[in-house]
Amino acid sequence: MFPDARIPYGTWGSSYFPAWQTSPLAEVNIGQFAGEAMARIMGLRKTPVSHLDYLVIGSTVPWHFKFWNATVVASCMGKRVPGYQMEQACATGLQAIILAGAQIQTGASQVAGVLTFDRTSDSPVGVFPERRAYRRTEVISDVWDNFGFDPATGGSMLASAGNVARKYKIEKKEVDELTAHRYEQYFKAKESGFIRRYAVALEVLNMQGKSMGVIEDDIGVKKLSLDTLRSMRELDSCVTGGTQTHAADGMATLLVTNADKAKELSLNPKVDIQFIAKTEVRVAPSMMPEAPAVAVQKLLKQTGLTMNDITVVKDHNPFAINDAVFAKVMNYDWRKMNNTGSPLVWGHPQGPTLTRVTIEALEEAVDLGGGYVLIFGCVRDIGIASIFKVN
Amino acid sequence: MNNKMRTSTLESLNMGSVLDIFKNGKLPVNNDELIDKVFGPKNNRGAMIISGASGIVGAGKVMQFASRLKPYNIPIIALDLPGAPDGISKQYKGLVRAFGRDGANDIMKNIIQLTYDGKSLPETLKSYNPKFLLEAIPEQLELKKVHYQLFKKEFPGIHIWSVTSGFPSKQLGVDIAHPAFPHEINKVFEIVEKQPSVQTQLLWSLGLIPMQMSDDWSFVLDVFFCGLMLASLQYQEKSNMPYWKADKYVRQIIGPNPFRAHDAIGAKGANFLTWSCLYHLSKAYGPLFKPTQSLDEHKDSGQNWYPPDHFRPMVNWHLDNKGKEELHQIIFGALFQMTSIMIKEKRADFVSMNAIGELCAQFTKGLLATMRNQGNTNIINTVKAYQKLHPEAAKTKWYPDVFKKMDTPEWLQLYVNAEHDGKVGVITISRESYNSDVDAELNRAIDWLKKNKIKRVILTSDFHLSTQMVGADTTEFFPALTDTREGYRIAFNWSKTARRFYNEFDISLGFINGKRCMGGMLELMMHCHYLFADTDTSLAMPEVTLPVIPGMEGCHWSIRKAKPTDRNKLISMLMDGKQVKAKDAVGWFVDYASSLENGLKKAWEIMQEGTSALPIRKVEANALKISVKAAKIPNSRNPEFEEARKAIADCIEQACGAPLTKAIEIQARHSADFMVTKLCRKGRVGSEYDKIMQ
Repeated sequence: MFPDARIPYGTWGSSYFPAWQTSPLAEVNIGQFAGEAMARIMGLRKTPVSHLDYLVIGSTVPWHFKFWNATVVASCMGKRVPGYQMEQACATGLQAIILAGAQIQTGASQVAGVLTFDRTSDSPVGVFPERRAYRRTEVISDVWDNFGFDPATGGSMLASAGNVARKYKIEKKEVDELTAHRYEQYFKAKESGFIRRYAVALEVLNMQGKSMGVIEDDIGVKKLSLDTLRSMRELDSCVTGGTQTHAADGMATLLVTNADKAKELSLNPKVDIQFIAKTEVRVAPSMMPEAPAVAVQKLLKQTGLTMNDITVVKDHNPFAINDAVFAKVMNYDWRKMNNTGSPLVWGHPQGPTLTRVTIEALEEAVDLGGGYVLIFGCVRDIGIASIFKVN
Repeated sequence: MNNKMRTSTLESLNMGSVLDIFKNGKLPVNNDELIDKVFGPKNNRGAMIISGASGIVGAGKVMQFASRLKPYNIPIIALDLPGAPDGISKQYKGLVRAFGRDGANDIMKNIIQLTYDGKSLPETLKSYNPKFLLEAIPEQLELKKVHYQLFKKEFPGIHIWSVTSGFPSKQLGVDIAHPAFPHEINKVFEIVEKQPSVQTQLLWSLGLIPMQMSDDWSFVLDVFFCGLMLASLQYQEKSNMPYWKADKYVRQIIGPNPFRAHDAIGAKGANFLTWSCLYHLSKAYGPLFKPTQSLDEHKDSGQNWYPPDHFRPMVNWHLDNKGKEELHQIIFGALFQMTSIMIKEKRADFVSMNAIGELCAQFTKGLLATMRNQGNTNIINTVKAYQKLHPEAAKTKWYPDVFKKMDTPEWLQLYVNAEHDGKVGVITISRESYNSDVDAELNRAIDWLKKNKIKRVILTSDFHLSTQMVGADTTEFFPALTDTREGYRIAFNWSKTARRFYNEFDISLGFINGKRCMGGMLELMMHCHYLFADTDTSLAMPEVTLPVIPGMEGCHWSIRKAKPTDRNKLISMLMDGKQVKAKDAVGWFVDYASSLENGLKKAWEIMQEGTSALPIRKVEANALKISVKAAKIPNSRNPEFEEARKAIADCIEQACGAPLTKAIEIQARHSADFMVTKLCRKGRVGSEYDKIMQ
């Protein structure tokens, strides 16, 4: 897709994703936090941000000074480079990486930073004069009012999960088992130290320079047993409090560059990470969780690859149903995917979610000696999928 | 004939030695005579012109000279272009703070602000009979040269000094008096001239600190401070560490906050000056001095280094040991390499070079002292490590050989010097606060005098770099805040040094000639058999206000010397921390207070004639029964102050209550034990520690 673009191994990282309202991140300007955190992460990776000449930021929840976009975040990072902000709800993290790849492929930049972030806590509120609405002025709590209402269909995201579960005749028993397995995968990865390889503990300061605390864990994520999951009340078909993700705050970042520069910046120049392909599809209204599977079908057709060719399969799974449907559509064992954790467990701060998924997948692929890496996810009724190759 | 450990800095100004001052019973130069020489006789006094007077440097110097030359009715002509931002009015507040409103107004009356078009001088200037021009116009060589021509043509014979921050005198065609920091309270001037001039001596006699420098690109302060800024930027660009945090770490390891300093001075001007200095140094010496990309940007934008208030730092940074080591290597490696060039060029004597680091660049410890303590091998290794981390630096030559002979007195005696004439010795301290370096050098100076069989000694300041004695360097106490062994070691060893003046000389005389002498320095001086001071010198033991407990025997030594009826005065000094004028402390604390000249003469008389010239007050060696309660010190109604007082009172009673031989240990123990208390941690030393080290 972008033969000249590369992701230098190891020049990435994320904050932990504390569940919404559980950490100092609930109280900060997340754009500033992300900029400063990126400098810190790249510093730990021995990568001076002075290498950057472009910055793609991805964020979906309005933040203070958003008007100033990537420029102000870049200033907080410590390197005044041009750039822009993009957003595509839950697909933001992957789409930002793709856009950075395009930036390199076109020759417009040598090193583009991808910086994705969101704060779902303390949702900003938008006030929109709406003369045709009976209330004349609509007030929207950006996070929860949007999660709960798709203006195109009038339905909620949660309802779309129920719709898909019914369409594919998914049973709650399977979804509970799948969820329990995802929790096991996450905690196994955590205990093995895998998460510490890319997630960075970050101390947040208040205005007086005093510590508000160190974000050193995916706060709020607790072990869930199958029995507990089974006992949970269904909110819609196969959807319980346990089988869906939770809102969180956080940031994730990586660099995209050309092949030569990747060798210079990479923490292991022998590892070569290429962009192979990407696609997007749109499925029927209110059928969000089936969109990723359809996107992957299309992507495999597009590339001529099969699931057997893929080394690492990882997705953004806001509902466990996503994975169950994917397995059914692709005839693929859901136990083989999301080996090192997934957003279903570690949370959903929107913007950075798929960036963290990608980072985890690339780390896993390197551990496995390389291969194709399939990343996919959903955004409303859109499915997005992409393949990278780790040599 | 005088013998000396090393050359005194006074000699570099052609003003003889400190021993000569005592021998002659007067200072080497006289204000009135110098004023006559520089500005003409009283009935035909000329004026001083400061051009570029509205700029940062010009305005500061206008205030500095206006206040000092006011008593001689010398007008200060503040010259600048029409419409130049009014920097002089900004200084007025500071003037009021220093002199009161009436005093400030009086000084302002003597400042005459004139404008010119840059091409010709105002006619009225002639009527002021200008004798001395201090040029502070922008850093453009051709502009400056034209400026000098203008003055030379109009006023032949006028003495011109440039305050330039970089150009050598040989390029400018005039001598240089570079203020080592523009701030009006900074007294240091780096002087470039073939021979010490009367103008330079006048600066000294006005209480300023001129230092002779060689004629090379830029100045010692600028190389140190801009060099530190550059090294900090190099580290920042390598690590991504934000400027504010780099500042914090740099402050921990060497003293100043280079980034904050730029913002505080005014980033627009300061960024340009730093860039300009480094840019020209890089042209003269190579890439070691090359400004970084971020400095280029900040020079162009004039942007502050610290984020604005709405972006106060949010993500904290911590360095692991490896990170700290890298920071150390970059900061010190760069400075060591730069300093080797200056030493090779003989830019200044070591004492002055070292002092500029402390007095002007705000280094916690002088750079040469730091290098001396590190030793030749460590210096070389640090520079090598730096050049590995920043390979560009290796493209500029450096001179490790200059560090080979670090056992010479020039290296060993950076703060303390000793002179003698075969009979009388003088030990001079050029550092305002006492630290471990001073302590070590003091011991070496005592050893040297004793080796030369000197039995009578005067302990004083150096009459040049040190204009007051402010006490102990409290940064030395940081390790003692958590470790009583450290506190005890410092207090005991420093006290032992002080006792040498009492035990190892037949006559020792502490001669305080500055504005004030306090705390640890006063404790040191009081150990001499005699304590002399200028009439109006302020003396104080302010430890209770910090709070700490005096560590160098301040709680018992002077009490042992005082008559029983006078002891409560000393107890009050310790319990209140207030200043006492020397003239009010004669007999119970000070042995002699007078004008400087009388003091010099009397001191020399004692050195020549012995104790018959003035009886020695004996130090009581036996245990004394002292009750602090009996002194009836009024309660301050401040519980924390009272707690500190109680600790000091305990120390007084127990240290006095022991024989002199044991008191040293008792005082050191009290001092060390108090240092680890919550109260001390909450106080000035603890807060300073938290601010700098946490």
